[in-house]
Amino acid sequence: MKANPFHIIRPTEEAPPHLREDVLGSVRTAILLMRFAQLFVADYAQAILDKLGMVKRADDAGRANDPPNTE
Amino acid sequence: MFRKRAKPDQDASDEEIVFALQRSMEAERFAVLYDRYKDKVYQRCLSLARDKQLAADFTHDVFLKAFVSLPKFDHRSRFGTWLYSIAYNYCLDQLRKQAKSRTIDLDDSRMASNLPEDTYEAELLELRAEALDRVLQDLMPEDRALLLMKYQDDVSVKEMAEINGTGESAVKMRLLRARERAMALYRKLYPDES
Repeated sequence: MKANPFHIIRPTEEAPPHLREDVLGSVRTAILLMRFAQLFVADYAQAILDKLGMVKRADDAGRANDPPNTE
Repeated sequence: MFRKRAKPDQDASDEEIVFALQRSMEAERFAVLYDRYKDKVYQRCLSLARDKQLAADFTHDVFLKAFVSLPKFDHRSRFGTWLYSIAYNYCLDQLRKQAKSRTIDLDDSRMASNLPEDTYEAELLELRAEALDRVLQDLMPEDRALLLMKYQDDVSVKEMAEINGTGESAVKMRLLRARERAMALYRKLYPDES
């Protein structure tokens, strides 16, 4: 029986080692923020992800580099 | 003289660690879960994103999202299943935002009507690995995610329905359409093979 091609192309790379400290650093910051945010913000989980998420920050940085809209 | 004791969390089950985290949030305790799941999550993100830097960023955000959502985790599913569902949904959300329509235009209304549930499954699983990899690269993120969940991670339709927040029949229909689009794309990319 032929091997499932989806299994053949499955990635085998390990997560980059530096990512551990990035994640745990963000988690430590999140713990601090959660303690404060629980007092004031309704959806504190989303607020923290917006603040610390890599992708959101990259998006924001990209927008900051966009040329200003002159229209 | 004093033998150093192993950290208790290293031997604890995922559920025990999650219960402990729900009582008291601690980064070092969460690190045990990170170490257990980091590669699996990264590999799922890489399968979907197909870019190492993007996959690393997604992995970071998936673990962060999981951590801040832990108080809401209700233990109805295993922690791993819950974490993978966050990974799939987060990657998919991000890829949807970035997606440009690179797939062939097929009319959904004429597709997947009155076809058996397993239509195109055998053909899809017969593809060469290289051709399948190329087809997945050009598929829409939603279709790619569904096919990877079903055929790479062997997630059941029931679990996929939970992850997607839809019914099982809707998942089956989406899978059928994803297979149909994948095979159409394959025939377009490799006309001599089909």
